[in-house]
Amino acid sequence: MWPTVTDPDQATADLAEHRVVITGLGVVSSIGVGAGEFQAGLLAGRSGARPISAFDTKGYEYANGCEIVGFDPTPWVRNLDPASLGRASQFSVSAARMAVDDAGLAAADLTDRHGLVAIGTTDGESRDVDQLVAQEVAGGPDRMDPALAKRVSAVRLAVAIAHELGLTDVETVTVPTACAAGNYAIGYGFDAVRSGEAEFALCGGADAMSRKTFTGFYRLGAVAPQRCQPFDRNRQGILTGEGAGVLLLESLGSARARGARIYAEVLGYGLNCDADHPVAPNQDSIARCMRLALENAKVKPEEVDLISAHGTATRANDVAEAGAIREVFGERAPRTVSMKSMLGHALGAASALATVGCVLAITGGFIPPTINHVETDPECDVDCVPNQSVRADVRVVQNNGFAFGGNNAVVLVGRYEEHR
Amino acid sequence: MTGVAQRLPTDLAAGAGTIAGREGVRRTVISAWSAVSPFGLDRTDLVAGLRDGRRCAAPVDAPGWPAAAGEACPVPGFDARAVLGRKGTRSMDRVSALAVAATGQLLRGPDGARIDGVGADTALVLGTANGSTQSMMDFIRDSLVQERPYLVDPARFPNTAMNCATAQSAIWHGLRGPNTTVAGGRAAGLLALQYALRLHRSGRAGAIACGAAEELSAARAWLEYHTAPGWLAATRLGEGCAMVLLEPGGRPGGHGRAELAEVLALEFGVYGQPAEVGSVLARCLRRAFVTAQEPPDRVWAVASCGGPEPVRAAEENALAGVLGAGATPLRLLSTDLVGDTNAASAMFALTAVLALAAQAPAAGGRTALLTAVDRDGVVGCALLRLGTAAQERAS
Repeated sequence: MWPTVTDPDQATADLAEHRVVITGLGVVSSIGVGAGEFQAGLLAGRSGARPISAFDTKGYEYANGCEIVGFDPTPWVRNLDPASLGRASQFSVSAARMAVDDAGLAAADLTDRHGLVAIGTTDGESRDVDQLVAQEVAGGPDRMDPALAKRVSAVRLAVAIAHELGLTDVETVTVPTACAAGNYAIGYGFDAVRSGEAEFALCGGADAMSRKTFTGFYRLGAVAPQRCQPFDRNRQGILTGEGAGVLLLESLGSARARGARIYAEVLGYGLNCDADHPVAPNQDSIARCMRLALENAKVKPEEVDLISAHGTATRANDVAEAGAIREVFGERAPRTVSMKSMLGHALGAASALATVGCVLAITGGFIPPTINHVETDPECDVDCVPNQSVRADVRVVQNNGFAFGGNNAVVLVGRYEEHR
Repeated sequence: MTGVAQRLPTDLAAGAGTIAGREGVRRTVISAWSAVSPFGLDRTDLVAGLRDGRRCAAPVDAPGWPAAAGEACPVPGFDARAVLGRKGTRSMDRVSALAVAATGQLLRGPDGARIDGVGADTALVLGTANGSTQSMMDFIRDSLVQERPYLVDPARFPNTAMNCATAQSAIWHGLRGPNTTVAGGRAAGLLALQYALRLHRSGRAGAIACGAAEELSAARAWLEYHTAPGWLAATRLGEGCAMVLLEPGGRPGGHGRAELAEVLALEFGVYGQPAEVGSVLARCLRRAFVTAQEPPDRVWAVASCGGPEPVRAAEENALAGVLGAGATPLRLLSTDLVGDTNAASAMFALTAVLALAAQAPAAGGRTALLTAVDRDGVVGCALLRLGTAAQERAS
């Protein structure tokens, strides 16, 4: 049951400004499916790394990745034929269904509410595009499988969620802003709910592991042979990953009125663009994005208890990111961890999964570790909570997401407190 | 007609050329537009093509296309190096070059310099369907056929990400504000407008360059062939990039620009089965008129993306039902004008309305309705109030 809080005809951005809370979490990841398993994985410092089976890795000198094996979408994809969905859409729909269930809602509770579905991605259904090209190489372009061709439009990652849940009164959009896309989508959900334009938002990110992206990063020399070691002196790069994280956002008034469990509050976010280099990060621009996010969230740097870093474990990212954190936070920077050490780089899902991790850190009273850590690089000497999670009182967390093209998005989440 | 923004008297007082707004609602207005279209590289080419009722179509003579594609609507003579120069274009793909060119045209005044009030903090929002399918497929093919699977061109890797055209345009033109790509098939242009409006309302941007881009390629044609073969045979695939400059209401006058239109309302929904298109679109349309506080009989033009049956008929029925059987607005279909430009079609519909309104004294102060129905389920509409300043100058 979802009581009416605002009259949708009256709700415009300029008339209302709601606090935005997180009441449902959905996770498909290489270290656990569902918020509970995911939290257990973060607490234990579980690694999702394994030899890649998603595509034929013959000819590469090494090919580890954080792949999800044996994923069965049928517990969550109940109304659609899973075969009509590409792998990324299977992930996004499953995570969205989990988030709705987790929020104590039935899909029918949402059908009468105007909502937003926003899913970030880097590659959309690039696993399908891999297959289509393989079919073309083998037999010519007329031999591509029409069933795959019909699945590849990127908007389907979001639309399929509406279809599965039977929602028609929703604005659905896919936000393909590469590896910061999850944060972009969460920020978009925040703005839509805060203004009263949407009564709920299902937002996050999804991506499926593909030959295309592995090959691109491999060619750039950015893929680690074995494991992902953010902020380590001997870090060798990313491991590609996959999965989906979806959050259900609603206004505080709505959550209270229906007696929902409130995980945490979205405090604000910041967006900017380096407008500099297609792939290399820009330290000053990243710092500017953090400041925009803090300002939007009305949070002072010293109030941040934890930074969930973009932390890809490439040489360039970790140095630029740590430098930017020093610029903004000074010498007393909060603990700064990279969940990519466990999850690999799940691309458009990465910052959404990390936001879920931040929420669980707040509710669970712990800081997830940066695993595979041997020796901190003096060039990026953050306290990365090496290898073991620690108990901590976490009130405010900053989650960083940076992408190719200099697309930066930083999200702030905070423990829900009645008076803020 | 040259760019409408160029002929404004510089002493335009605050209020003149400003569209009267609804009380209490932050207004977002369109103060400039650009188009790299099948009619040519400049917005004036689109204006001339529409005025003359030209049919853009060229036989596809490139190898590797499905025969069923028949004719297509390429941007004539468009080549990244020819249009943008050799520097920085070696690895640039077609859709990025189209977006870079259209962004440049949008932000450039008649003297070739950056127009006033569009600083480095300007935001950029671009609609897409799938980025460059050709870039993705070429990259994957290289991995599959080269001697080693990693012998791909690293400089072309960023082209395979769907945010490439938006990011390239920001790099090229030095735009460090929010930089967002939205994917929405045929509805991408309207979703981009909606995203931009939220940036305004949440105080994240002042000036926003907002548009949508699509490229013609064999890869896209083959996907269309396998997805909707009947439609591919019936239509002409088109390409291009259309953009508008969005600003808070009242701001353009201070920079010597007129308010060409105000975005009054945007509404979206999703259909599961084609039979639901009519009811979902009708709900969007009714809400848009209520939100805008505008009666349906004030609509001067209705511009839709166009697309295959049975969705098209459902769209027409919904429009007739909401506008009333006696309504006779100017009716435009993006597919008829510039071919099926997919992700760019709604934004081309918008720029076509702006181009025609500037030459139509009856349009000033009335509204324009845009509709989009994507094949994968997104339905959207936008209601705009047209300004009066453009007609005054054109007359």
